[in-house]
Amino acid sequence: MKTLLLLSLLGLTSLMAQSLNALHVKEDLTKVSLTSPLWQKAKAQSVEVFPQTIIEMNDAELMRANEANLAKVLHVKTLSDGKSVAFLLQWKDATKSLQTLDSTTAYGDGFAVQFSTVNDTLPYIGMGSENRAVIVHLQKATGTIYEPNNGGDVYHQVNISNQNTFAKELTSYKNEVAKQGSGDYQRSFISEGFRSMTQIRDNAEPAVMEMKYDKGVWSALLVRPLKSEHLSLQGSFPVAFALWDGEKKNRDGSKLLSAWVGVSLDANVKALTLLDEVKGDASNGETLMMENCSACHQYKAVKNAPNYMAPNLSNIGGYANASYLKESIVEPSAVVVPGYNLNAHKNFLWYTSDEKGVRTSTMPPFAHLDEKSVNDLVAFMKTLKVEVEK
Amino acid sequence: MSQRQLAMVMDLNKCIGCQTCTVSCKTQWTNRNGREYMYWNNVETYPGEGYPKKWQELGGGFDEAGDLKAGVVPSLQGEYGVPWDYNHDELASGAQLKPHVDPKWGPNWDEDEGAGDFPNDNYFFYIPRICNHCSNPGCLSACPRDAIFKRDQDGVVLVDLDRCQGYRYCIAGCPYKKIYFNPRISKSEKCILCFPRIEKGLPPACAQQCVGRIRFVGFLDDEEGQVYKLVKKFKVALPLRPDYGTESNVYYVPPTEAPPKFDANGKIIEGSERIPPEVLEKLFGKEVHEAAKILRAEMKKRKETGESELMDLLIAYKHEEMFRLDNNYYAEYAKSKGMPVIKPVDERYLSGKYTSKMKFFTKGANA
Repeated sequence: MKTLLLLSLLGLTSLMAQSLNALHVKEDLTKVSLTSPLWQKAKAQSVEVFPQTIIEMNDAELMRANEANLAKVLHVKTLSDGKSVAFLLQWKDATKSLQTLDSTTAYGDGFAVQFSTVNDTLPYIGMGSENRAVIVHLQKATGTIYEPNNGGDVYHQVNISNQNTFAKELTSYKNEVAKQGSGDYQRSFISEGFRSMTQIRDNAEPAVMEMKYDKGVWSALLVRPLKSEHLSLQGSFPVAFALWDGEKKNRDGSKLLSAWVGVSLDANVKALTLLDEVKGDASNGETLMMENCSACHQYKAVKNAPNYMAPNLSNIGGYANASYLKESIVEPSAVVVPGYNLNAHKNFLWYTSDEKGVRTSTMPPFAHLDEKSVNDLVAFMKTLKVEVEK
Repeated sequence: MSQRQLAMVMDLNKCIGCQTCTVSCKTQWTNRNGREYMYWNNVETYPGEGYPKKWQELGGGFDEAGDLKAGVVPSLQGEYGVPWDYNHDELASGAQLKPHVDPKWGPNWDEDEGAGDFPNDNYFFYIPRICNHCSNPGCLSACPRDAIFKRDQDGVVLVDLDRCQGYRYCIAGCPYKKIYFNPRISKSEKCILCFPRIEKGLPPACAQQCVGRIRFVGFLDDEEGQVYKLVKKFKVALPLRPDYGTESNVYYVPPTEAPPKFDANGKIIEGSERIPPEVLEKLFGKEVHEAAKILRAEMKKRKETGESELMDLLIAYKHEEMFRLDNNYYAEYAKSKGMPVIKPVDERYLSGKYTSKMKFFTKGANA
């Protein structure tokens, strides 16, 4: 860990792709599948995904299973036909995990791709923020799942032991029940921050998703239109990725996620300045961090602050972009998501809200810091991340 | 906090462990659609491991500082036990009757085992358990999606199935393990205090069917109600495991009446307590000792004078008087909020349509 930190301090950060270049194809992408030969033309680019450690989930077994989590590399291929964009994601996972009908403790592997509905600023990486909504496409690897109210068909919700049917009738009953299940756990959401995510059910954000496991590698597909009710993707736009490992009881906030990554549909388009990194003196940043931040925030081995007092910043460099970090230092209330501490940890409110619902962060603005100090701080924060799994 | 709180009192001195409540709940709500293993109401023997197995050791609830504690999601194959069935179809062809899985655990697995040496100091009693509809619910606090809410009109804690994504943190967060994961629909489900019945002025099915008349149902602020009298006036009804910090709203009259212990020669040990007071203290807190005193004093008073309001209450001469519900209240509440009058099947539960109008979710109310 120390060497990694040192290397980063020297500016030798890994040379990961800042922008995913979509290969333009003539073929209709709405028909593309995981096995389409089209993918052979596209080049895979790497995106690192880091374990979410800003907040801790309250499942003891999950905490144990994720204690030693490292970052993973996600290999991404991107295609566009001018109307749709398609992503092929591949990542290593030693076990194929499904959420199944006969277990209360099985969790499925899964992936999600997040898009921003705003162009001039970055939404909070954790499912957006107020007035900066995100669209999230999610797929989980599950066995059969049934709709809660079964379309009002109560008859086919009844346990077969309670059925007055036998032989052939029972078989046809079972067949009908089987027909009503779905093996495809695919969802689209709109969200303005942690806790506010809401499922889109009217197909306003259509997407084709697919997941396939083969020899220790998951391959996943997402195809969606560039233009939809909430999105108008063109030129260069940000996306973010998330992965869940069911074996480690991953679900919800317990996941691996990337920072916002640029996608450019056209090689001539200027890269997003929103995603620019900052240059700064990370070792001075470390001092500043200790002086200004450590009283409330825990990060890595620095645990001066009480638990739950403020977001844990141990992996912040992995999934936060420099522009977000800068904004949050200078103007903490710019992005305040509906809170985690609300009920679970009442002693430390992360924000207050007035009668109109305007949330104010309890973190004081650090606008008095000069630009160099902020840049140094951000440069140090960008080094706060775990190593990448070999 | 909700505006009003509906509560239940269960008199453990009267519970005979007949499971009629369990069956009434099961047939009403949980015998189908992925809920087969769930017991929104169960009656367990104490001392015993309960359902799910060792639920008191599975974490959740709040520590002294008020922080939600991490917990464990029980497994179907382990702590719950897979509900088993028999091969009745094969019997005609000469097969041996056998369960379809090897049963390892289930509700009531350790029924009537209890503790101690028979006949000298063995003991057990029954604890019927439903969701406690807590004022500070662990499940609600744990939910990262605001899918669990506490109704303003009566404090009933419900899962909005529309928002629930099946993350199961609620199960880890509930120290009573009274919220369950339905793997069939990938959502969490729990006791709904039979709110569609309650809104029509009917008691929950478990209370209605209780042959021992142990269950009182009413609003905690209704000073004329038996629930108020038992909890607030006489202070003989206490919450289960108050140390969990969830401020539960199901109260128990502790089982204070048991025969004395016998010595080695089979002689009665005068003044001995067969149910150890420390056991009751663990379950119901320190207040249990005072409650026991009050109960005994009132019993004595009744014997000597023939009068005791508390004893009259606990005897429960008329079953219908144990329930103080008010369908007009619900009708008026619905009217004032512009909600439609409740249909026999409450569609709000299915769609979560009115969730955003709950006080808990109102913007600004959380500060």
